[in-house]
Amino acid sequence: MMPDLASGLMEVTPGIRSHLAGCVACAGKMEGFRQTMALLDEWKAPEPSPYFDVRLQARLREEMAKPQAGWLSWFRRPVLAAALTVLLGVGVGLFFTKGGGRYGSADNVVAVIDSTEPGSAVGDLQALEKNHDLYADFDLLDDLEVQHDVVANP
Amino acid sequence: MEAGALMAAMGPHPASSFQPAVAGEAYTDAEVMLRVKAGDESAFDYLVQKYRRPLVSFMYRMARNTAAAEDLAQEVFLRVYRSRQTYEASAKFTTWLYRIATNLAVNHARDTRHERPEVTVSLDEPDEETGTTLDVPDSKSTAEEFLVRRERMLAIRAKVEALPERQKLAVIMHKYQQMDYKQIADVLKLSESATKSLLFRAYETLREQLKEFV
Repeated sequence: MMPDLASGLMEVTPGIRSHLAGCVACAGKMEGFRQTMALLDEWKAPEPSPYFDVRLQARLREEMAKPQAGWLSWFRRPVLAAALTVLLGVGVGLFFTKGGGRYGSADNVVAVIDSTEPGSAVGDLQALEKNHDLYADFDLLDDLEVQHDVVANP
Repeated sequence: MEAGALMAAMGPHPASSFQPAVAGEAYTDAEVMLRVKAGDESAFDYLVQKYRRPLVSFMYRMARNTAAAEDLAQEVFLRVYRSRQTYEASAKFTTWLYRIATNLAVNHARDTRHERPEVTVSLDEPDEETGTTLDVPDSKSTAEEFLVRRERMLAIRAKVEALPERQKLAVIMHKYQQMDYKQIADVLKLSESATKSLLFRAYETLREQLKEFV
């Protein structure tokens, strides 16, 4: 509030005036701010030079001459190329470190086998899958036997 | 859009053919920007003419010299022009404009922080550092007084520049761009109370550090 009062951005109300009249500390501080604000006022900025508009006009003309960028232009950006390279690198790295490839290390293979031990979620699911296959095979064998019986004893 | 037509009216005292008020109804800057989006060339002229001086002044106090300030201010207008199609009048136009300006100024300051500012003394042209012209001394003022004044300008500039980045931005927007707390808070993405406290701390620092010059 004091800087606003000191720079005249805020009106000094009668209440503030009476407080400042009775409080030496606040009055001193206010005077300090007033002097600082006056000092800051001395720092003037120059007007735009006559070349400013000419330069801006030239830059706008250049801007308008540029072809409108379509969505494909994203793929020509170096940042995107770099990001894709990094993503590719990370993908390849993950592929090898997680043992997803043929060239995964023996340790990783062991780790994969370990995770399919009976009792684990993956192991149980795989066992169920195998059982399902087995039952399907039995059905097929039953069908074949029936057909064999039919052929043998028409 | 013709650049010639766009900027034709611009000169030392530019005037735009765009009328910001039609039949007594005044347009806000956001509405003018929406007209730019719709392809109204004169509306862009109007915004350039309205904000060229404040932006050069803002950039001058953020950058280290006049040439850089003008370059940066032009870049702000180019970015506004480039973004016209995606502009949404969800915030005040000045907030959007000063956000662009702030980002550019901060990046520029970061890129050039190791460069020493030019220190030139010319009797005819405005000083790069202080923005003032050192006229030939008359009977009332001596060369010594000019040098003292220049020293004081450099000190003010150095002290403002030495403030933490957000404090510096807040002081420049408050003191020199006459922006209120709400506008500054919106540009800096702070609450109004945080902005008030930021500004108070900045002015308190300046009061202490500029004591010897008052």
